[in-house]
Amino acid sequence: MIELSITGTNAITYPYLEVWDWRIIIYLFLGGLSAGMLVMCSIANLRIPKTDVEELAQCVRAPFVAFISLIIGAIFIFLDLGKPIHSIWLYLTFQPLSLMSWGSWGVPVVLITNALYILAVIPKDKRHLLKFNSLIKLAEMAAIRMRSIAKLNFVLGVFLGIYTGVLLSSFAAIPLWNNATLPILFLTSALSSGAAMVVIIANKSEIKFLFTKIDIWLIVAELIVILLFFYGLYTSTAPYKRAIQPFFSLTSEHFIFTIALISIFLLLPLALRIKLGELKEFEGGFHGEFTKAQIFRMNFAASLVLAGTFILRAAIVYAGQLTKLSAY
Amino acid sequence: MPKYVMVIDVERCIGCMACVIACKKENNIPEKYFRTRVVEEVRGEFPNLRMELRSELCNHCENAPCIDACPTRASHRAKDGTVQIDRKKCVGCKACILACPYDARYSHPDGFADKCTFCDHRIKEGRDPACVETCLGKSRIFGDLDDPKSEVFQILKKHDSSVRLEFAGTNPRVFYIKKKFVGELS
Amino acid sequence: MTVSRRDFLKIAAVTGGIAVAGTPVIKSVLALGKKPVPLAQYVPTTCEMCFWRCGVIAKVVDGKVVKLDGNPLHPNSRGKLCARGHGGIGLLYDADRLKTPLINTGKRGEGKFKKASWDEALGYVADKMQKIKDQYGAESIALLTHGTISTYFLHLLQAFGSPNFAMPSFALCRGARGVAFEVTYGEDVGNPERLDIQNSKVIVLIGSHLGENAHNSQCQEFAEAVSKGAEVIVVDPRFSTAAGKAKYWLPIKPATDLALLLAWINVIINEESYDKDYVNKYTVGFKDVVHEIRNYTPEWAQKETEIPASLIVETARIMGKNKPNVLIHPGRHTAWYSDNVQRQRAVAILTALLGAYGRPGGIYLNPKKKLEPVFLSEKDYPEPQKPSINKGKYPFAGEEGITHAIVQTTLTEDPYPVKGWFITGTNIMKAMPNQRDTLQALQKLDLLVAVDMMPYDGVMLADVVLPECTYLERHDDLFTVKERAFGISFRQPVVQPMYDTKPGWWIAKELGKRLGLAEHFQWNSLEDFLKIKCDTWGIDYSELVKKGYMSFPETEKPYITPDNQPIFKTSSDKIELYSKELKEKGFDPVPKYTKHEQPPDGWFRLIYGRAPVHTFSRTINNTSLSELMDENVAWVNAEVAKRYGLKSGKYIVLINQDGVKSNRVKIKVTERIRPDCIYVVHGFGATSKLLHRAYLKGADDQQLITKYAIDPISGSVGMRVNFVKIAKEF
Repeated sequence: MIELSITGTNAITYPYLEVWDWRIIIYLFLGGLSAGMLVMCSIANLRIPKTDVEELAQCVRAPFVAFISLIIGAIFIFLDLGKPIHSIWLYLTFQPLSLMSWGSWGVPVVLITNALYILAVIPKDKRHLLKFNSLIKLAEMAAIRMRSIAKLNFVLGVFLGIYTGVLLSSFAAIPLWNNATLPILFLTSALSSGAAMVVIIANKSEIKFLFTKIDIWLIVAELIVILLFFYGLYTSTAPYKRAIQPFFSLTSEHFIFTIALISIFLLLPLALRIKLGELKEFEGGFHGEFTKAQIFRMNFAASLVLAGTFILRAAIVYAGQLTKLSAY
Repeated sequence: MPKYVMVIDVERCIGCMACVIACKKENNIPEKYFRTRVVEEVRGEFPNLRMELRSELCNHCENAPCIDACPTRASHRAKDGTVQIDRKKCVGCKACILACPYDARYSHPDGFADKCTFCDHRIKEGRDPACVETCLGKSRIFGDLDDPKSEVFQILKKHDSSVRLEFAGTNPRVFYIKKKFVGELS
Repeated sequence: MTVSRRDFLKIAAVTGGIAVAGTPVIKSVLALGKKPVPLAQYVPTTCEMCFWRCGVIAKVVDGKVVKLDGNPLHPNSRGKLCARGHGGIGLLYDADRLKTPLINTGKRGEGKFKKASWDEALGYVADKMQKIKDQYGAESIALLTHGTISTYFLHLLQAFGSPNFAMPSFALCRGARGVAFEVTYGEDVGNPERLDIQNSKVIVLIGSHLGENAHNSQCQEFAEAVSKGAEVIVVDPRFSTAAGKAKYWLPIKPATDLALLLAWINVIINEESYDKDYVNKYTVGFKDVVHEIRNYTPEWAQKETEIPASLIVETARIMGKNKPNVLIHPGRHTAWYSDNVQRQRAVAILTALLGAYGRPGGIYLNPKKKLEPVFLSEKDYPEPQKPSINKGKYPFAGEEGITHAIVQTTLTEDPYPVKGWFITGTNIMKAMPNQRDTLQALQKLDLLVAVDMMPYDGVMLADVVLPECTYLERHDDLFTVKERAFGISFRQPVVQPMYDTKPGWWIAKELGKRLGLAEHFQWNSLEDFLKIKCDTWGIDYSELVKKGYMSFPETEKPYITPDNQPIFKTSSDKIELYSKELKEKGFDPVPKYTKHEQPPDGWFRLIYGRAPVHTFSRTINNTSLSELMDENVAWVNAEVAKRYGLKSGKYIVLINQDGVKSNRVKIKVTERIRPDCIYVVHGFGATSKLLHRAYLKGADDQQLITKYAIDPISGSVGMRVNFVKIAKEF
């Protein structure tokens, strides 16, 4: 029996780390969502070969939702800052070894290109709604370079989706996060949530169906990566084995993480099942409109994916802070 | 650049906790926050018991993960070689608190991250850090390892030492020595 | 677009406003405009966070004390302070401090206080005192006191005509040790104890948890000795910090320590490993000791103490081998059972057999300095009309008085009633066992006055509360420090008294004036008196003010050398291994073993101790210290806890043999204690609501000590005789 008595501990680090909370989790979710949607929009844009711009008007809402998501997410991390008024110092230097630095520079860049993309895809006849002449001019210029902007959005979307994973994995002190699988997991789940969100907000059934199909691949990838994530930690050394224990705990203290893991492995495959079901129905090819029930099922599956993504991030952020590199 | 290190002679620590509070008073630390602590570990089963008392603080690592994690250079290596926080640059993102494997940092109620400074305001005047000065057992020893005449140099030359979480690759500058195994059982 | 003059002014005002409002923000962001740092003042004084009284240097900036550091000149601190010393700032700025005199408007002990002026409060007290004197006699006023305030109130009390005072330090703490060493060596071991720890080769701690009682210089020397390779032998039912440094931990069955000591003496005598020359030259009664201990074999002791005989022999051999550089810690708090003096006598005898008294690593000799006594007043005290009751019927009761003698006399009114109590600088509810007796005694009084700094439990019971300022805000009498060299330590105010508090000397003097005793307080302020004292002693007062401590290094003669022979002020002028004094008064001249009651099945002996960050109940409300330890915990053996299904961190209630229930206390399941006892740190469980941080935190051990033994020799009490059982929290 080891009896430990420590005098002079700070509540933020002992007995558990309590550094990042729901505000960060919300940012991780909304940021990932935004990243996924940006990538999905770019895919939608780029895969349709050189069609008239008008036809892509359907894609205005998606980048807009991505933009709002990221803004709201950014507000939450801003609120989490201890001294937000010092933020200017973030932009007086660039620290290549600090993923926080990458993020603080990167997020505004993403927002800017996201805005440019929105301007680019606004249909010609709706441009006057922009009111300001300078904006309208900007929109015109952007529309010309729409495909380049879309490619840029794709890259930045991937960056946004993966950098938070890299940030978390950069902390050697947090065994649960400190591995190479986490960034891949975050990216995959970001893309999946982005696809799911597009399914929900899309009006055109074809778009809904397209992204339902895309999401199937992403969910499968996500589930595989989660398994690799846990296996990798299980086969690593002591602190890493300890780090995943909360997810397999039957005691009341950490049972919630076991529940979280079970939920993820219920919700995602269920969503998968529903989506595959949809797919089977249209094996012979898709003709015409979907029924209300089918649309409901697609939307429902998408919401399960969103829920699963949120639970995943919340569980990883909270569980990570339960286990340290040191024994106590 | 001098190489300030602290050597902790675990055998000499008697757990008086004077260092914990002297540091707070010297550096005006708000209530419920600490920059240093004392750990008491007892192992074994009655009546065969062993105890270790040791103090822990920021290790001012040579390969500091907190400096890497900081986006504004608030956490940086100062000219005297110690790891310091420039409060005016700290945004309070708390990445450094997560990056530190030694629980050395905390979030000050005024918003910025805070930690042990090796009492750099005292080093400047040629004085020991407050914790070292008040240590009843003379368990904490401080000095410039690059100075062959310093007590830290002499001690580390004579005795084996270890650091916390060596495998983490942080290269700490706080060394723990155990001259003999004390606490043998009855 | 054109800008009109009005617009311009509007814009300018707004911009100007933003500039002004934004400037502090900009300044803080760019760290411009640094204020010049005010210079610090360093004022030396003497600490009173405990009774080690270390030299302190206070750093004062802008009238605020910002740091306390050890005075390097003072041998008790040597430039270092323990946690309590640093926590002096917490005491000074504690918002819960007593701020004004208070008068109780409710029933006795109700604590319904109204604020009063000093005039009103002192007048009330003087009035009542006079009435008691007229009706019952001055002797009916008693004083329970501790700390430097004792100087002034002892003076006041005796000037008033009463001989009845008691300090908890005798009967409730170190009295038994004092008596034991006085009858053996002719004098006590001193306060601080004259222990040459840093040179000890073997340190035996029996019933001492050095390290957890943070006696500054003693802890420093202990760490030094451990580092130099001293062998430490710890005899304790609990694995203390010191045990963590020990080569041998003897988890002795409580109440059997005397058996172990006698067995050690037995082995050392039988194996002839005692210091023969020393014993021959400096002691008498060796043959009697040989005779008395003949049956106290290690095998016999094993049965009593549950320590293996081989271990008893082994540890005795280590002592014998390393004599005379062996320190058997003489103890400090020795108020354990009914044979305290005899047990400490065994310690004294063992020390003498090893030749350690007056030798390196043992107990060093008293530095001698002849100083003319300077009294607070040259005027004689009036003769009391009635005999004093403060020594009870204990032939070796100390001059400090016996606390329970005063309580019992008050209760029984035998031989005469005691109608007024002063409690100054002591928390009687936490210091004295059997709280019920204390509370009943209080009801018999016509007057209860408390003089203290904080609203402790005992203070809340008073009729009148007089707030003393802290040690950082006052002068006190010079301290004579008898460490290796003789020294004088000084106390001066570091800041002015806060709120409406006053130094103890002022309170005593003002009260004295109102009692017609102004002639006993002829000096205006204590500083005047101190200057006279320094004059008489030929000391430079301004030096003391500047340095805080003055040493007389020529007095350092700690060891016996051919030209430094010890003087033993006993009747035989030698160390009395066989005590004639004790024999004359009808007690065993050489200690005999007495068996003490052990807890029945299902019960545990309640034992208590200290924490390095607290001083009894004095500091439990201190901001700086309570954040290091805000409640005590009950140490319960792991096997026992398993039986009861208890886990660390759960709250339990302790119930004692008289059915008294403690406050809820957190349990510490540990391997570090024997299965037959439960240990708590003393001083917690405050019942005073005005101690906001400490109120009802932890359990009050004194509340559970309803029974106490009395040592008939000295009157010192035994407080480790209570048994408790565990109840789950309701």
